[in-house]
Amino acid sequence: MNYSVLNPDKWVSNYADILYAYALPRVSDTVVAEDLVQETFLSAWRARDNYKGEASEKNWLFTILKNKIIDHYRKKGKDIVQSMSDSAITERFFDEADHWTQDDKPLDWGIDYQQGPETKEFYSILESCRKKLQKLQQSVFAMKYLDDLDATEICKALGITSSNYWVLIHRAKLQLRACLEKNWINS
Amino acid sequence: MGMLHITCKKATLLIIKKEEKKLSWLERWQLRGHLTICSLCRKFEIQSAFISRIAKEYLQSVHLLGEEKKEKIQERFEADRAGS
Ligand SMILES: [Zn+2]
Repeated sequence: MNYSVLNPDKWVSNYADILYAYALPRVSDTVVAEDLVQETFLSAWRARDNYKGEASEKNWLFTILKNKIIDHYRKKGKDIVQSMSDSAITERFFDEADHWTQDDKPLDWGIDYQQGPETKEFYSILESCRKKLQKLQQSVFAMKYLDDLDATEICKALGITSSNYWVLIHRAKLQLRACLEKNWINS
Repeated sequence: MGMLHITCKKATLLIIKKEEKKLSWLERWQLRGHLTICSLCRKFEIQSAFISRIAKEYLQSVHLLGEEKKEKIQERFEADRAGS
């Protein structure tokens, strides 16, 4: 097999979709994902003389995209401490004694938790609930559930402390659960 | 009250840590103790695991760009190449 030839004329038609499909859930923003794909092609074009042909053209483009996503996370991670303290103040869910409030206590969903809900309606509610999370929370979800990264690896990628991480994921889970319950179970 | 007594807020955090296998032995005892007396947090534990599983399935579904956006990317890329 000879992988060594680059074919930039075909890059967009061959790889734009799969690069975008990779980027989107990881950055949770269609515009950012498109930009990252665009920049990947440009960077690849500029670096074409460095291509040794050791990786396939596709893997080479993916490596460039992955680095761009990591850079994006780094930039996001810098804003985190500010946004964290803001959201930590606006505690709901728990009362002064840190027990569930009447309004936000978990209700019985009356479903089989082992089975998926598998309905279109459920997934569109899930999507709208997910979109209500902060971008950074969405990105952490993707790193966690899509890339199977653990807490340590995610903290490293974002340049945040582990206590920041746990506050972020704790709140994201509470918010997502409450949103699903309100819009899906109670509708 | 004491080292083993924790609040619901703490318990929900420990439930999430447990999903990532990040509990110390003390936290494990605290959580176990809380869950025996708190049905709300037991519910949260089950629902949290459900959400994790569903989130994973959902995120793995594929998103496509669409032809229009692809054309835009192609145009810009060609302009970049012509310019460099
Ligand atoms: Zn509780």
